[in-house]
Amino acid sequence: MDFDDTPEEAAYRAGVRDYIAKHRDELMSIGEGGRRDVDLEAAKRHQALMYDGGLVGVTWPKEYGGQGGTQMQQAIVNQEVAKAGLAGFVGVIGLGMCGPTVIAHGSDDQKSRYLGRLLRGDDVWCQLFSEPASGSDLAALRTRAVKTDSGSWRVNGQKVWTTLAHVSDYGILLTRTDPDVAKHRGLTMFVVDMKAPGVTVRPLRQMSGVSEFNEVFFDDVEIPDEERLGEVGDGWRVALTTLMSERLSLGGGGTDVGTGLESAAAHVAKRIGALPEGRQALVRQEFGRQYAASLATRYTGYRQLSAISKGAMPGPEASAGKLAGTKTGRALADLGVRLLGEEGVYASTAEGDGRWQSSQAGLPGMAIAGGTDEILRNVLGERVLGLPPEPRADKGMSFNDSLKLGGTPAHAGGTQ
Amino acid sequence: MNFDLSDEQRQLAAAAADFFASAASPSAARASLDEGAPIAPGRKAITDTGFAAITVPESAGGGGGSVLDLAVVAEQAGRVLAGPSLITAARAAVLLEGNDEWLSALADGSKSFAILDGDGGATLDATTADTFLALRDGALVVGGGTVTERSPIDATRGLADVVLDDTKVVAAGASQWARARQVAQVVLGAEGLGTASKALEVAVDYAKQRVAFGRQIGSYQAIKHSLVDAFVGVEQLRSLVWWAAWTSDESPEDLPLAAAAVKGMAATVLETTAETLVQVHGGIGFTWEHDAHLYWRRAKVDRFLLGDDVEAFDTVARLAIAGAAK
Repeated sequence: MDFDDTPEEAAYRAGVRDYIAKHRDELMSIGEGGRRDVDLEAAKRHQALMYDGGLVGVTWPKEYGGQGGTQMQQAIVNQEVAKAGLAGFVGVIGLGMCGPTVIAHGSDDQKSRYLGRLLRGDDVWCQLFSEPASGSDLAALRTRAVKTDSGSWRVNGQKVWTTLAHVSDYGILLTRTDPDVAKHRGLTMFVVDMKAPGVTVRPLRQMSGVSEFNEVFFDDVEIPDEERLGEVGDGWRVALTTLMSERLSLGGGGTDVGTGLESAAAHVAKRIGALPEGRQALVRQEFGRQYAASLATRYTGYRQLSAISKGAMPGPEASAGKLAGTKTGRALADLGVRLLGEEGVYASTAEGDGRWQSSQAGLPGMAIAGGTDEILRNVLGERVLGLPPEPRADKGMSFNDSLKLGGTPAHAGGTQ
Repeated sequence: MNFDLSDEQRQLAAAAADFFASAASPSAARASLDEGAPIAPGRKAITDTGFAAITVPESAGGGGGSVLDLAVVAEQAGRVLAGPSLITAARAAVLLEGNDEWLSALADGSKSFAILDGDGGATLDATTADTFLALRDGALVVGGGTVTERSPIDATRGLADVVLDDTKVVAAGASQWARARQVAQVVLGAEGLGTASKALEVAVDYAKQRVAFGRQIGSYQAIKHSLVDAFVGVEQLRSLVWWAAWTSDESPEDLPLAAAAVKGMAATVLETTAETLVQVHGGIGFTWEHDAHLYWRRAKVDRFLLGDDVEAFDTVARLAIAGAAK
């Protein structure tokens, strides 16, 4: 047991560090990636610069412009990027999810047209999966694609929670092409041009006040058959490639959820002395519990990294890290706000520090995105503990028949 | 990075699993509880296997192994509620460092140790001990003692009140006292890991078999999710146990915080898992005849050993705050 790099890993890490240090000024010139207020051109230049250093598409095959590297090398890049405080890539969705799906299921023509530009950040991609009536139950989606006489496809429907759609050039779009078979069977995946006529993107504002994602409407959008990804009716299998890649790109690997353990400790250290004695003991008790839990999550991530380093693929047990990390991240954010005392009612302190309030408002999203806590518990319970599956009322039914089961209307608004 | 057990450690764990599964069990724990039967496997068997002396240097007849080696064995002991603990063995090995005569007595079993915290209330492994180590006026002392057995909630921990009789000083200083207690907390965490992971397996097995309302109860989210929460806790604890054991061997400056984190987390994870085990079984899980309460008893006792979880998490916080203020 050790926490050291192998000589090869150490050499690789040194190269990554050198490159980041050499281009530090330029790389630090943009803010956080993915935010609506991001300077798109600057974000694209940032990704291109990282690509030139071999730090983008680390695990992608060389024939598609990647580095042909290992998952461990990708983890090293992630660690060094985090350590240097660099912004995330504007191409995060494309690199983590869309690109791998095109590699696995795209035609040679699609690969040559899309992958190189995606890697360099010339094109931005989004993933059009969730809908108002299908979140956790993704395969119940309703966006329809109908084949026209000319052989192309006409798409109508709505997607939602689509990160980066507002700046995207392309998206991978999961549609229903056959409603008369079981819900998983009647799906087909396409690449859609986000600038095509009939595509409308509207921003959604999150409860934190930030706008990172969108709703996307498709009104008679025409997609050529050449832009299909995989076979007609094989969309669920194609989508699983995307979701597997998502798990890889969210691989954890010992990074903290939320504001980070060390900054939480610094915050507690700074504030605790001003509290009455009895209150200090309460703060220490809560902080000690969350600190220990965060360390446990970090070292669980290191166990996964070690397995990856030996060539294993992250399995469903990686979900345990997200569950635990989200829980402690939220608890630490709550403690962080509480330590502000009365100031905690304002969006930021008098000195203008709003980190804890932002974290408090942003982290509920972590318990929902990328698999809700409840879905992850089902996955762990069924795939890891081997417990019997959830009963499904729509099992063995065609999609059309399942609609008669009732339940939620297509769009249930929260405003009265 | 290679945060994983070595092949040798996996083999050691497998050998320990074989031994403990044949030499101890919940039935044996029940016999100790009901009839006062000797705690299984007992001092002699654990000493004869060499497991008790894994961390004793070879020069004193021990295994010369690491705390991590001992931790993987302790996990297996915890699975079957074995006793006496490897916690006491590990703690004594640190306290007696440099004293080959006493260490040899630990390794060959000619002395049966227990260690007093404070003035000798609720002392772990006291009922099978003949030699007691304690801290008196800043010195490490050894001596005989008068053991008063009471009615322990868990009969496998050998708990009793102890009054020291005649003592003599083993070491004028007691510089190892704190470290010995921290190493003991790590091994306590490792035993707790074993107990919790076994309790979880028993609960999961039952949830797969028991049918209610026409379905296996493990298919219901209310049951499934509480089992998953216990599973996540067990895996988190495993990571902390490995890390804390590694710090004992390789990074002593991190041991105080790691040991406190393991102590606190083991207490809460084992308690949650044992209570989940009872709850998943419903009425049968609340009976004396079912084994669930034997794991639960271990949890309810272990949380107080070597300080409770509240003390441990307070220590974690104090150390983390001190580290951040630097």
